[in-house]
Amino acid sequence: MNASKTLDKTLVASPERKLEADADLDVVRQVQAGDVAAFDRLIVKYRERVLGIIYNMTSNREDAADLAQDAFIKAFQSIHRFQGQASFFTWLYRIAVNSTVSHLRKNRLRSFFSLESVREDDPVSRELIDALTDKTGAGREAFVRELQEKLNDAMQKLSINHRTVVTLFEIDGLSHQEIAEVMECSVGTVRSRLHYAKQLLQAELQPYLMK
Amino acid sequence: MKEDTDREVTLENLLRLKRSERPPAEFWAHFDAELRAKQLSAIVSKRPWWDRFSRTFAVVGRYQLPVGAAAALAMAFAGYRYLEGQGELTAVSPQAPAPQGSTVAAAPAAPARAAAALVGATSLRREVALSGARGAAPAPKPVVDATASHMTQAPVEVASDSLTKSPFADGIAIKLADFREPLADYARPSVFGSDREFEQPAAARQAVSDPLARMDPAAERRARLLAPALPAYSSRSPISVPSDWMRQRSSADDRMYESMDRGTADDRMLVGFRF
Repeated sequence: MNASKTLDKTLVASPERKLEADADLDVVRQVQAGDVAAFDRLIVKYRERVLGIIYNMTSNREDAADLAQDAFIKAFQSIHRFQGQASFFTWLYRIAVNSTVSHLRKNRLRSFFSLESVREDDPVSRELIDALTDKTGAGREAFVRELQEKLNDAMQKLSINHRTVVTLFEIDGLSHQEIAEVMECSVGTVRSRLHYAKQLLQAELQPYLMK
Repeated sequence: MKEDTDREVTLENLLRLKRSERPPAEFWAHFDAELRAKQLSAIVSKRPWWDRFSRTFAVVGRYQLPVGAAAALAMAFAGYRYLEGQGELTAVSPQAPAPQGSTVAAAPAAPARAAAALVGATSLRREVALSGARGAAPAPKPVVDATASHMTQAPVEVASDSLTKSPFADGIAIKLADFREPLADYARPSVFGSDREFEQPAAARQAVSDPLARMDPAAERRARLLAPALPAYSSRSPISVPSDWMRQRSSADDRMYESMDRGTADDRMLVGFRF
C-alpha cells in the first residue's frame, strides 16, 4: 500500500508513532466510510495536544479553544481528501498550525495574555518550581505566575515561525523530521529556527537560568 | 529566587514548565459541547457557491511567485516584440531609400496598391499591406505620385524582412492599413448631422492643389497693383484677372484729376482737379 510505504519512510525512527499512525489510519478509513461517530475518538485522542500547541503559540486560552475547535472542524470537513500520505496527527497538526499562523497574522497588533494556571501535579514541574523558589503559599503562587508571564512574554517576542518550532519541539516533543513535515519546510530550516529561537529565549530568560 | 541551589535550571526546563499549563477538567466538557455544535452546523450548512473558487485560488496562491514571474516575463516579452515591430514601422523617413517591394504608397509597378491608397478600401489595403510585406510586387524605386495627397504621398515603408519574420509583424501592417481608412471616414459630414454627399477627401485635396500649382503669386500681385495706373497692362498679362473689375477701377470716376494738358512749354503740364 502506497500510504503505508510513505509512513514507513517518514516514521522509521519511531515505531511507536508508526503503530499510532496505523491505528489512526484505520479510524480515518471508518470516518471516510461514513462512520461519523468514529471521528470523536480522534478528537478525544488529540484535543489536548492540539489545544496545547495553539495555546503556546497564542498565549490566549479563549483563542486557543476556538482555533482548536476550528481545526477539528476543518479536519472533519476535509477528511475525505486525506489519502494517508502522512500520518493523521501530522495532517491534523498542519491544519492547526496553519490556522493559528493565519490567525496570528490577522491579529498581529491585537495580542494579550489569557493564561491557564500551572498545574503542579506534574513532578518535573513541581521540582523545577522548588528549585527556583523556596517560598510557600501566596509567595510561591505569585512567583509561578510571574515566571509564567515571563515565559509567555519571551515566547511572544519570537516570530511566528520560531515560536511554532519551539512549541512543537520543546513543549510538544515532536522530532525535527515531524516538525519539518508539519511546517512544510526542510529539517535544516527547522534546526536553524530552533537554534536561533533558543538564543533569543536564553537572553530573555537569563535571570531565571542558573547552574 | 533561590540562590543557593545545586540544581541546574536550563531553558529546556523552563519551557517544560509550559507543558503544565493545562486547562481544568471541566473545560473539556464545555469544549466538547461547542465542538459538537460546530460539527453539526458544519454538516447541515451548505457551503457558498464561491467556496469552490476560494479553495481553487488558495491552491493557486501557493504558486503565486512562479506564476507571477511567468506572467511578468510574458508581458515583458510581448511588450518587447510590440516595441520592436513598432520601431521598424516608425523608423521610416520620407528621404530614406525604400527596399524593394516594400513601398505601400502608389507606384506604377503596383497599380493595385495605388488604387488602394486613393480609394481607401480596407480589404484591398490589407491585401496591399500583406503583399507589399511579402514582396509579391517588387518596385525598383519608391515612386510618389505628385497629384496624391500627403496621406498617400507619404511613403510608408515596411521592412519586408521583418514582416515576413512573424505573423505579429503582419498584424501590425494590417492595423496600419486600417488606421488610415477611418481617417477618411471621419471627414464625412455624417459626424455633424449633414446629409450632403461629400467628395472623397483625396479627390478634394487634389482639386484644390492644381490651380495653386499653376499660379504665380508674384505675377498676380504685380498685375493687381499696376492695373489702376496702366489699364493696358492687365490685357497683356497672362494671368486671368477679372476684366470688369479692372475696367471699373480704371474708369474716369476713380481718377483724382479732371484733365491733363501738357500745353506748349515742354517743362510744364496743366492738371485740372475736381472737387
